Amino acid sequence: MNLTYLRMEVTRVLRNRRILIFSVLLPAILLLVIGTPNKHDTYHNTTVAAYIMVSMGIFGAMSSATGTAGSIAVERGVGWNRQLRLTPLNPLRYVISKVLLSLVLVLPSLIVVYGLGATVLGVRLSAATWVLVFIGSWLSALPFAALGLIIGYIAKPDSIQQVNGLLFFLLALLGGLWLPYDQMPHFMQIVAKYTPSYWAADVARAPLEHGSLNFNAVLVLLGWAIVLGFIGIRRFQADTARA
Amino acid sequence: MTNRATGPAVDLTGLTKRFGELTAVNQVDLRIAAGEVVALLGPNGAGKSTTIDMMLGLTKPDAGRASIYNRQPNEAIIDGKVGAMLQSGGLLPDLTTNEIVTLAASLYRKHRPVPEVLERAGVAEFAKQRVGRLSGGQQQRVRFAMALVNDPDLIVLDEPTTGLDVEARRAFWVAMREETAQGRTVLFATHYLEEADAYADRIVLMRTGQIVADGSPSHIKSLVSGRTIRATLPSADVNVLAGYPGVDSVETRGDSVLLQCSDSDAALRELLTATAAHDIEVVAHGLEDAFIALTTETSTP
Repeated sequence: MNLTYLRMEVTRVLRNRRILIFSVLLPAILLLVIGTPNKHDTYHNTTVAAYIMVSMGIFGAMSSATGTAGSIAVERGVGWNRQLRLTPLNPLRYVISKVLLSLVLVLPSLIVVYGLGATVLGVRLSAATWVLVFIGSWLSALPFAALGLIIGYIAKPDSIQQVNGLLFFLLALLGGLWLPYDQMPHFMQIVAKYTPSYWAADVARAPLEHGSLNFNAVLVLLGWAIVLGFIGIRRFQADTARA
Repeated sequence: MTNRATGPAVDLTGLTKRFGELTAVNQVDLRIAAGEVVALLGPNGAGKSTTIDMMLGLTKPDAGRASIYNRQPNEAIIDGKVGAMLQSGGLLPDLTTNEIVTLAASLYRKHRPVPEVLERAGVAEFAKQRVGRLSGGQQQRVRFAMALVNDPDLIVLDEPTTGLDVEARRAFWVAMREETAQGRTVLFATHYLEEADAYADRIVLMRTGQIVADGSPSHIKSLVSGRTIRATLPSADVNVLAGYPGVDSVETRGDSVLLQCSDSDAALRELLTATAAHDIEVVAHGLEDAFIALTTETSTP
């Protein structure tokens, strides 16, 4: 693993705070707006506040993917990808660096969302459940990071905003981040199961309802991450477009 | 200094690339020995960049083969043998000079100390400034630093001095000279004959995707800097004229003949004694004019 590369990537993000602010502020605001009015209601085995808190954690994880796609589009625009092909950097390591970067970048939004949940919304969970929920939503960033990689390579730099926006909206909607799964129309429920966001939400929420991770959901999520990551590697290798 | 790799640094055979109807590079054969400093000279659109892209494995040739130190280009790159500087782009604007060179260094198993490279490429003074805020000339030097960081045996530079002013251009070549003095092999593309003449041991001249001349700078200059004799000579025998001393090539235009000469005096002596040529003019070309003449496609009437 190349820690220098990862460190430079983090440095770049810190210098472009817009992306970070977007991915931290948006889920935090949504959490307060949606969560506060019904924070004492219960839902399944948990509170509505806890349910929304986890949804917004996933939302933050998804926006890290948006950040990845955006930064790759910029890198392609300036010919950085061609430059990398003139170095020994192996595509697999490149993709791993990008995915690790997403995992680092998702932490601030998770910390803010879960912090607000525990304080402002008064979410009370056992220590073990907090840890599992946190790990679950953190893991859910994996397939989105890989997805961001693919979008970054497929979308043209000038259309990336729209592609990202649309995908983000669909994934959040189908993943049950805005509307709980059992309140969706039937056809949407069918489609939802074919999205990584549904499984990400399942992984993160299972500890709320059952006190443990749903390992089937974790497997599906990892499957998504591997397939999307593989496509991402192929795109990296294929992309030699001139700046 | 470490031992430099031996054997042919670059070996291109029958390299061809087409973009639709256009054949950008056509059957290029080129072999560069270790330690040579070679200029790939030609006007814009001659196929220099496409040749370099295929040589580095960035573009797949439609035909032919490129190898570096007897290996696939990407294998030589992975092995850290090659340092390349592309014509434009390839920099991350948010990082400082020091950071981007450190990043480039981190991609290699073995690399030179970053401070040494910053010094050598003349970028140490703005090491802490972000790359996006540097001038074009400064950015060019950052690219140069990145190409040197892995201590490469072969340096490939695509139009390294484009956009530099005279002063920066000179400084760049001074730094380059110090690098080549250590036995590195260098291939640089340029469209300045002066630059090729001053810094290369060997000039490879390209025109419309083909190599049209290959030799020492003095050889190339003799090709392009001769004189042209124009004379009226109806029904001239082109083959006989081409055999005259000092004549490089012959063209006819109606009743006129044009003789491109490396030694116009010798050619003129023969022409006046052996033929009925009259209305003779001898014209000398400026170096750049002649270069343009040689690299511009001539339409045969």
